[in-house]
Amino acid sequence: MKISHAWLRTLVPVRLPPRKIADGLSMLGLEVERVSDEGARYEGFVVGEVLAKEKHPHADRLSVCRVSVGSEELQVVCGAPNVAAGQKVAVGLVGSVVPRNQHDPGGGSFTLQEAVIRGVKSRGMICSEFELDLGDDKDGILVLDSSAKAGTPLAAYLGKTDVVYDVEITANRGDWLSHLGVAREIAAMTGARVTLPAIRVKEKAEPAKRLVRVKIESAEQCGRYVARVIRNVTIAPSPPWLQQRLRSVGVRPINNVVDITNFVMLETGQPLHAFDYDKIAGGTIIVRGAREGERFTTLDGVERTLRKDMLLICDMKRPVAIAGVMGGSDSEISSKTRNVLLESAWFEPVSIRRTSKHLSLSTEASQRFERSVDIEMTDHASVRAAALMQKLAGGEVLKGCVDVFPRRPRRRTVRLSVSRANALLGTSITGSAMAGFLRRLGMTVRKVPGDALSVVPPSYRSDIAEEVDLIEEIARVYGYDRIEPDPNVRVGLVGGIGRGLADEVRDFLVGAGFQEIMTNSLQNHDHAALAGGNAVAVLNPVSVEMQVLRTSLIPGALDVVQHNFNRGAKGLRLFEIGKVYWRDPSKSPESLDAFHEEERFMMILSGDHFNQHYTTPSRKYDVFDLKGELEALLSKFFLDKYRLILYDNGSPLSVDTLTVEIKGTYAGLLGCLRKDVAAKFDIREDVFFAELSLNLPEVTEIGKRRYEPLPRFPSVTRDLAFIVDEEIPQGKVVDAIREAGGELVRWVTLFDLYSGEQVGSGKKGLAYTLEFQPVDRTLTDEEVNGKISAIIRHVEATCGARLRG
Amino acid sequence: MLEQISHIREEFDRELRESVDPSALEALRIKFLARKGLIARLFEQLRTVAPDEKPAVGKALNELRAYAQSAYDEAIGRKKGRSTEVRVDLSLPGRPRPVGTRHPITQTIEDLKRIFAGMGFGIAYGPDIEDDYHNFTALNFPPDHPARDMQDTFFISKNVLLRTHTSPVQIRVMKSQPPPVRVIIPGRVYRNEAVSARSHVIFHQIEALSIDRNVTFSELKGTLVSFVRQLYGSSVKYKFRPTFFPFTEPSADMYISCFICNQKGCPVCKYNGWLEILGSGMVHPNVLRHGGYDPRRYSGFAFGMGIERAALLRYGIDDIRLYFENDVRFLRQF
Repeated sequence: MKISHAWLRTLVPVRLPPRKIADGLSMLGLEVERVSDEGARYEGFVVGEVLAKEKHPHADRLSVCRVSVGSEELQVVCGAPNVAAGQKVAVGLVGSVVPRNQHDPGGGSFTLQEAVIRGVKSRGMICSEFELDLGDDKDGILVLDSSAKAGTPLAAYLGKTDVVYDVEITANRGDWLSHLGVAREIAAMTGARVTLPAIRVKEKAEPAKRLVRVKIESAEQCGRYVARVIRNVTIAPSPPWLQQRLRSVGVRPINNVVDITNFVMLETGQPLHAFDYDKIAGGTIIVRGAREGERFTTLDGVERTLRKDMLLICDMKRPVAIAGVMGGSDSEISSKTRNVLLESAWFEPVSIRRTSKHLSLSTEASQRFERSVDIEMTDHASVRAAALMQKLAGGEVLKGCVDVFPRRPRRRTVRLSVSRANALLGTSITGSAMAGFLRRLGMTVRKVPGDALSVVPPSYRSDIAEEVDLIEEIARVYGYDRIEPDPNVRVGLVGGIGRGLADEVRDFLVGAGFQEIMTNSLQNHDHAALAGGNAVAVLNPVSVEMQVLRTSLIPGALDVVQHNFNRGAKGLRLFEIGKVYWRDPSKSPESLDAFHEEERFMMILSGDHFNQHYTTPSRKYDVFDLKGELEALLSKFFLDKYRLILYDNGSPLSVDTLTVEIKGTYAGLLGCLRKDVAAKFDIREDVFFAELSLNLPEVTEIGKRRYEPLPRFPSVTRDLAFIVDEEIPQGKVVDAIREAGGELVRWVTLFDLYSGEQVGSGKKGLAYTLEFQPVDRTLTDEEVNGKISAIIRHVEATCGARLRG
Repeated sequence: MLEQISHIREEFDRELRESVDPSALEALRIKFLARKGLIARLFEQLRTVAPDEKPAVGKALNELRAYAQSAYDEAIGRKKGRSTEVRVDLSLPGRPRPVGTRHPITQTIEDLKRIFAGMGFGIAYGPDIEDDYHNFTALNFPPDHPARDMQDTFFISKNVLLRTHTSPVQIRVMKSQPPPVRVIIPGRVYRNEAVSARSHVIFHQIEALSIDRNVTFSELKGTLVSFVRQLYGSSVKYKFRPTFFPFTEPSADMYISCFICNQKGCPVCKYNGWLEILGSGMVHPNVLRHGGYDPRRYSGFAFGMGIERAALLRYGIDDIRLYFENDVRFLRQF
C-alpha cells in the first residue's frame, strides 16, 4: 500500500526525515519496501517563460524560442505546434532526466544534453505532459498557468513535493490500511499525538431519517450500518488538491463524490459507498443474505451468481450492492446524480472474505472489511465524507443519520502479567514502562494488584486478543534490538542427529561416482501413468505439466537423461533420493489415511561407459554395470540378506526385469528401459535403471551388526564346469549348487561362460569356482568329493545339465 | 679450429641429451668417439694448424676427447645400471574414475544439519501430503483468515493439501512426545506459484523447534546469532525486525549484513546492505495447546528458512530453476 508523507502530516506531527520514518516503521513491523521522493524526479525542471518564438531557419516544423528560466535566458529548439511567446512552460535543463521519451516505443527516460538541431543550438527542452509523466498528451507542450513564475522549480509548481512510502501490510493488521493507522504507529514511535481533522458540517433542518430507512436482517454479518443523505450535489471533477492526494497514492480520480469516498477510506480505513439516492427504491436499505443462485451485476459490468452465505444490500425492489465488496451499476454515481445516499458500515470479516474468494473479486473495500474495520469509526467516516461533499460538491447534508447498531461489542479487557512478559522476552522491563508503551499504542492501561496490568485495547486493534499479543506490542515498542541475545544457549539432553539409511546410501553412491539429481515431485499425467499406480492429483495445478505427484522416481529422471543427452552429455551416471506418493482409491480423499508416501532411491546408467582410456576400447554401459553397482550397494548394507529374482512383474517401464527382495520382502527392481518408452523421451541410448524403497522396516537395522568370528579352518576351492541348454538362466545353476552344497559353500563364482562347437548348438558352458568353508573342522578330501558329487547330481537333475569333463 | 672444437662439443652435448636408449648411445659413440669419428678427424687436422697455435688447439682437443669419453661412459653406465627397470611415461593419462557429486540442496541441508547437531538438536520428519488441521488450523491460522493468503496452497481435496511449510511437523512432534523438544525439521514444501527465476512450486525448508521451561526471546536471539556466525562467519552483523506469522508471537525476521557486497549495495541485497535470511518467533500459545502442551508451564521458539535461497546466497546461483533442471554441467560444480 502507498502512504503519502504529506498526508500523514495532516494527522500527526512528523519531524523526522522520511528515511528515518521508513526505518522506524520497519523496525516496528510495518515494512517500508520503498521510499519514493516525487520532488527528486523533477530535479532540473523549472518554470520557463517563452519570451520570443521564431521560425527555425532550416526546418518548417521547428521553432527557435528564447526562454527565460529566471536566472538566465536560454535558446531552445521546439517542435510543438502550440508553443507561443508569452506562455509559461515546463523546461528541462541540460543534465536533467526526462521521465518518458515520446519518440521511444518503450517510453523510457533519457538525460537531456545540449544539442545542435539542424544547425541551431538548443540548451534545454520544453516538455509535454507525456514526457513529464503527468498524462498521455504527446501532441503539444504542457502550458502552465500564466501566474507561474519563471525559475520556480517545477516540482514546487506542480505540488510534487511529496514522499511516498510503499508499505507491506501484514495479514493481522487491517488497521494499517489507512493513513490514520500508519500515523498512529508514528505516534507510538515518537510519542506524538494523532489528531483527526476537524469536521465542519452545516446540516439542513430536515432529518435524514425522513428519507432513509435501514433494516438489517442478518445482524451476525452486519454489525453496524450508518446512512446519510446529501442532497443537490453537483458532480464535477475534484479540486486539484484532492486529485493530487489520490494520485500520489496511485488512485485514479473519477469525480468529486466518488473521490471523497476513496479519500476518506484511505484516510480512516473505513470503506464508504455512495449510492445515487434516486435509484434506491423506497429510500430503503435492506441488508440480507443472498438467495442461492441469485444474480447480480456489479459496477464492473459482470453478472455474478451468488450463494446464500453472501450478504446483499437491497432496496425495496432489488439488490443494489454485494455488501462490502462492490456496488451495482444501476445505482452508482453518475454525472446526473443529484442526491447521494452514503453508506458507512461494519461487515463481518469472515463473511466478506468468503464472498470475495468465491467471486474471485478482491476490492479495496473487501480487503479492509476482511481484516476487520474499526466499528467505532463508522459514523466519523460518514460525517467526514458528508462534510467534504458539502464543501466540494455543493451538497446539502440532511440532519443526523440512520445508525443501526444492533449491539455495541463490549471492549475486551486483557490481563498482562509483567513477570510473565519479562520471562517470555528474557528482559527486565518495569511494569510502568510496559504501561507507557501500551498507552502510546492507544490502549487504556490500569495497574491491578500483584504485578499485573489490566489493558483495554482500542476498538481498531481487533488483533489483540490475549496476553501474548500485548507482549509482542511491548517488545515492538521497546525495540527488538534492545533485547540482548542470551549467550547461554542451551544444548538438549536428548536428541542428536543420527545418520539414516538414506544418508548412507547417498554417501555410497557419491563415492561410486554417481551424480545426485533432484527432480520435481509434481509432474504431468503421462509421466505418472508410465510407472502405474494410483497417482495423487492436485485440484488446482499451476499447469498440466505439474498436475500429479510422482509414483516413481524414474519418469522424472528420464527427463533429466533427455535434457543432458540433448546438451552434449555422452554418458550419465545419476541417482536420486526422494519420495513417491500414491492414493488408496477405496478411502475418502478427505482423510490422510487415503494417502501414502515412501522414500526411495533410484540409479541410472546410460550412454558411454566412463572408462575412456587409450588402453581400453570405448564401450557403452550395459545392464551388468548397473547390476554390479547395485549388488555392491546391497551387499554393503544388507550383507547376504538380499536376493535378485528373475521375475517379470509387468513393469510398464522395463523389459528384462530383476526384482530385488530384502529379507524376503519386495524392495524394488532393476531393469532395461523399454525402447518405446525411451522413444517417448526422445532418448536414443539404452537406459538401465534400478529403483528401491528406503522405507522397508526390514532395512532399518543398519548399525546393529554383530561381529562374525574369522574362520579358524582352511577353506577348499574346486572348479566345476557344466553344459546346459541355452535357455537355462545361469542363476538357476547357482541356486542348484547352493541348494545341494548347503552352508559349507561360501562362494560360487562364475569364471567362464562359453558357447560354440565344443559344447554343441543350443547349449552353453558354465564354469564355476566353488569355495568350501568349514566352521568347526578341517575338511577331508572324501568330504569335499562327496559334496561335489551331490552338487553335480542335483544340478544335472534340476537344470538338465551335464558335467563337462 | 678452436671454433670448430666448440661446435663439435655443442653437437655432442645435444645428441647425448637426445639419446634415450642404448642403440642411440652406440650411434653417438660411433659418430664422435670411434676411430674414424669426428674427434679423431679433428686430431688429423691438428697437423695443418699453425705452429704457434698448436699448443692451445691441442690442449682444447684433448679436453674435448676426455670430456666426450667420460660423458659417454657415464651415460652408458647409467643405462646399463637401470636396464632391469621398466620405464614408463608418467605423463600419460591415468585410468579415469567417475566422480560423484551431492546436489547443492543436499549439501546445504547437510551443512545445516551439522551445525544444529552441534547445538543439541535432534531431527524430525513429516509427510508432504498434509491435512488442513496440521498445516493451518493447529498452527493458529483461523479458518477464513487473510493469513491463509500468505501461502498459496495446492489442494488434493477440501481437507487434504500439499504442505506449504515444514511447520505442521511441529504439531506432529509435540503430539508424539512430552516436552522438552529440540528438533530441526528439513523437508520439501509446495506453493502454488508461477515458476520463475525467483520462485518454484517446490522448494525445501529447514526449521527448528525448541520447547522447554523458561525459553525466552533472548535465548532465541542467542541461538540464531550462534547459528548465523557458524554458517556465515563470526564477523557477520545482524538485526531483527518485527513481523507476523500466525504460529509465533512475538515474531521476528532476521537479517544479516550482505556478505556479497559488504553492505556497499548490490542487486542481491537490493542495495540496502541487508539480506533477509530467516523467520522466527516464540511459539504461539495456541500452537502449544494444539500440541498438547500447557503454555503456562512451557514456552518455546521456532525458526525456519528456505534452503534454495540459502544455497543461492552461498554459491551465487541466480536462477532457482537450475536446481531442478539437473544439468550435469551444473551438478558437477558442487
